[in-house]
Amino acid sequence: MKKIEAIIKPFKLDDVKEGLMEIGVQGMTVCEVKGFGRQRGHTEIYRGAEYKVDFVPKIKLEVVVDSELTSQVVQVIEQKAKTGAIGDGKIFVSGLDEVIRIRTGERGKEAI
Amino acid sequence: MHMSPQQSPISLLREKREGLIARFVKGNEPCFLERHTEILDEYFHESFFSSSVGPQMRMEKNPYAIVALGGYGRKEQCLHSDVDVLLLFKKKIPDKAKGLVQEIFYPLWDVGLEVGYAIRSLKECSTLASQDFEVLTSLIDARFLCGIFSLYSDLKEQLRGKVLRRHGRAYLDWLSERNQERHARFGDSTYLLEPNIKEGLGGLRDYHAMLWVALTTYHINEPRDLEFFGHLSHDEFQSLCEALTFIRNVRNWLHHLSGRKCDQLYFEYQVRLAQALGFKQENGQQPVEGFLGALHGQMEFLKRQHLMFLNRAVRAKQKSERKKSPRKAVTAGIEVVRDALDFESPEAILRNPHLLIKIFEMSAVLEKPLSAGASRLVKEFLYLVNERFQRSRAVIKSFQRILSAPPQTFNVLSEMLNTGMMAAFIPEIMGIVNRIQYDEYHLYPVDKHSLRTVQTLKELRDASPDTQDAFYGKLFRELQNPELLLWGCLLHDVGKGGQEQDHDDHASLGAQIAAQVFKRMEFPDRDIEAISFLVREHLFLIHTATRRDINDEKIVVQCARKFRDVERLKMLYLLTVADSRATGPKAWNDWKAALLKELFFKVFHILKKGELATPAASEVVEKKKEKVFQRAVSIPTNTLETLFDDMSPRYLLYTSSKDILHHIELFHSLGQDPCVLETKVNPRTNYRTATICARDFPGLFSRIAGVFTLNNFDILSAQIYTWRNDIALDIFKVKAPPDTILEDEMWDRVNKDLKAALRGELDLSTALDQKVLAYQSLQRKTPRKPDKVNVDNETSDFFTIIEIYTHDFPGLLYRITNTLLRCGLDTRVAKIATKADQVVDVFYVRDFDGQKVDSPEQVAAIKKTIKEVLANGANSKAQSSRLKAESETDSTG
Repeated sequence: MKKIEAIIKPFKLDDVKEGLMEIGVQGMTVCEVKGFGRQRGHTEIYRGAEYKVDFVPKIKLEVVVDSELTSQVVQVIEQKAKTGAIGDGKIFVSGLDEVIRIRTGERGKEAI
Repeated sequence: MHMSPQQSPISLLREKREGLIARFVKGNEPCFLERHTEILDEYFHESFFSSSVGPQMRMEKNPYAIVALGGYGRKEQCLHSDVDVLLLFKKKIPDKAKGLVQEIFYPLWDVGLEVGYAIRSLKECSTLASQDFEVLTSLIDARFLCGIFSLYSDLKEQLRGKVLRRHGRAYLDWLSERNQERHARFGDSTYLLEPNIKEGLGGLRDYHAMLWVALTTYHINEPRDLEFFGHLSHDEFQSLCEALTFIRNVRNWLHHLSGRKCDQLYFEYQVRLAQALGFKQENGQQPVEGFLGALHGQMEFLKRQHLMFLNRAVRAKQKSERKKSPRKAVTAGIEVVRDALDFESPEAILRNPHLLIKIFEMSAVLEKPLSAGASRLVKEFLYLVNERFQRSRAVIKSFQRILSAPPQTFNVLSEMLNTGMMAAFIPEIMGIVNRIQYDEYHLYPVDKHSLRTVQTLKELRDASPDTQDAFYGKLFRELQNPELLLWGCLLHDVGKGGQEQDHDDHASLGAQIAAQVFKRMEFPDRDIEAISFLVREHLFLIHTATRRDINDEKIVVQCARKFRDVERLKMLYLLTVADSRATGPKAWNDWKAALLKELFFKVFHILKKGELATPAASEVVEKKKEKVFQRAVSIPTNTLETLFDDMSPRYLLYTSSKDILHHIELFHSLGQDPCVLETKVNPRTNYRTATICARDFPGLFSRIAGVFTLNNFDILSAQIYTWRNDIALDIFKVKAPPDTILEDEMWDRVNKDLKAALRGELDLSTALDQKVLAYQSLQRKTPRKPDKVNVDNETSDFFTIIEIYTHDFPGLLYRITNTLLRCGLDTRVAKIATKADQVVDVFYVRDFDGQKVDSPEQVAAIKKTIKEVLANGANSKAQSSRLKAESETDSTG
């Protein structure tokens, strides 16, 4: 099993979501996140007062899938999140030891 | 009643209940609660008379009675409500009492009823009631069932004479405190979507609280006395009964559908309940929306009656303390009485109907509520609000004053809405009153949401300077016509009252309706146009911020073109913030605020600078597009449209239609090649123009520059543009070669080298190293000004602009562009100009994440690196080898 996390541009969420559902991904977790990379944010000065804009709003998506599906999922996110321009975010793939569905106690693949 | 001798009371009860439920489900039982109560009463009578334990308890020595309490006492027995009963004894409780409980109460459990019982003596009752007001409350509802009636009378007498006389005041305080607690607990937003029919705001408990107050304060005996003694008007009492019937019916259905005592209207039951209650698809509303709207209306009514009633009860107490309250006139026809506004007399309204709105204006100005009597009079005189009233300047002025009055604890606009004054004055609002949108997103009915939006805007306006919201306040105060924005908040969703199903279209319908309202009120044309704009576009900014790439200059420029001026942008921005906040927590958070603010600033800057978004600029671009369409007959229109979409506003504005067409043709001839080169050679001039169309990648520009240097072409100027389909157009002006005889061959070689370099087959770095070494001796012979590097993050929201002023040397452009690449910068636009040996290079760059580079460390590092490269020229061997490494990395990538 793998956990795939992707940081994408907010307006690409619907495309990515649709793409993932098309290949049969059943569920995902979506968070609205804020972050910054190398740039430390900037300050807007409006009529003498400063307004700090110190993070960039992004969407974080988490999908847990059976290992076999990993490349397909990554591919879909990659394709759908691409705007053609640069700065389309990142995808992280990591191994997952165990998944447990609390209600039934199912483990592993069954619990995804 | 016929009773077959062999049937036990409990099986009779079971049978009767089943019949009752069957009739109820079929819709043939309008009085379920009363019938249910009766059936239970009958059970108690029958089982009491047929009891075997009862007679052994010697009723004459220690009289006892069975008394119904709580909801059962009030004859409000819902399907799965608890059956609360009291076994009351005159003296000490005999041991046999338990037997009676077993005999009479236990069987009820077996048929699935929840029984709550208490066994108490008369004395215990009054002691407990004095200590625990919960007990007192349940006893207030007590109703005699069977046994000795005089014992029940004694109980009532004790409560009235002893407990309430001593603890009446404390009990009222306790009731009001508990109401506040309950309202706070159930006033949470989740309860707006899934209301609690019993405990929630406007739930049945609100009515019970009224009853308890009335029973203790006014000593009424039954609900009807509320009207009889003049605590409620006839109409109010009728409406109250209607509301109660509706809400109780909902509660009973909820019990039936959920199969248990469930008082919260969860989503899963809402659709089925609407169906059960016979709601139909109507006015473009789903049955469930119609149902929730009706429920909301009734609960709202109950809530208001409850608050008004408590208010009056408290006042009544105060009134008795200071006999007569003085009346003070605040304006002609309106007076203050006991801190509330009242009309001088009903006749005054007839003489001057303007008072109907004036009283609300005074309420907003003086921050005093209307008295209950005044609200009643407003309702009754609404027929005076005719078209002349609606058009009156004075009335409209009064209303504008109400609109912009400071936000306060009680909302004058809601009072206007509740009395029907709002819909009378602006009939277009009628369609959104209690209009529900069935989703998890919209917490409030549309009318309440609209008022909340006005309220939210005013809170933003008055935000204290040290808060996050101060920025909005500042923007608000800069508006030339703030009333217009308040109107916009009030009317933005007015289109949701429309007939059609499609909610997405409510904005344009709303714009028409808002314009109609403004026309009737004879606002000037520019205001009519502005209000239509605000209503039509009220979702535009939030949609753009959340659904479009706001780091794309083109998107933002297109967005900016919607706005005639900065004033419009500010208004729409504030409307968007207020609207989102007033919708509910799912529509607004820090994250969305940040997105929206970013978009606001970007559009703001573009509008301020004018350049790209002025009407003139749009016109120029449109004309160019038309020309290209006319000439490019061989290319399908939609292909052209797509390409136009890919071109940046800057490119479209500054490139001639002839060149655009030319570039399109080049792009079409690109095929599988990495690039196409096209040169214009005019032998009579001393420069050549080379246009290169290529698939863009980081370092493209630098490689092209390198190839020119390698082939001994001096670059005079260069312009690069990048289309969004990742096509780069680089236009170079280079010096004509000294010897033009072999020029064609020279260009062939450039073309060949270009393709090789772009494919990564040519090691430019090594090739150039050798070339540059040959020039070294020519360096630094002329006096030179110091190099200057500017990094500008102010001018553009989308790019960091780097300006370089330096002296020309062969390979300069290659060096600089390669350095930019090495600093992790992507060049999107460049302008290179050479005058004599002075070079001015301007680069619009971003990092590879598409963001500006604006941290001071980064800026300093970029400046330093470029300056080093400029100073060293081609001298540094280390530099060359580093460049080589870079070049190799590129070719693999």
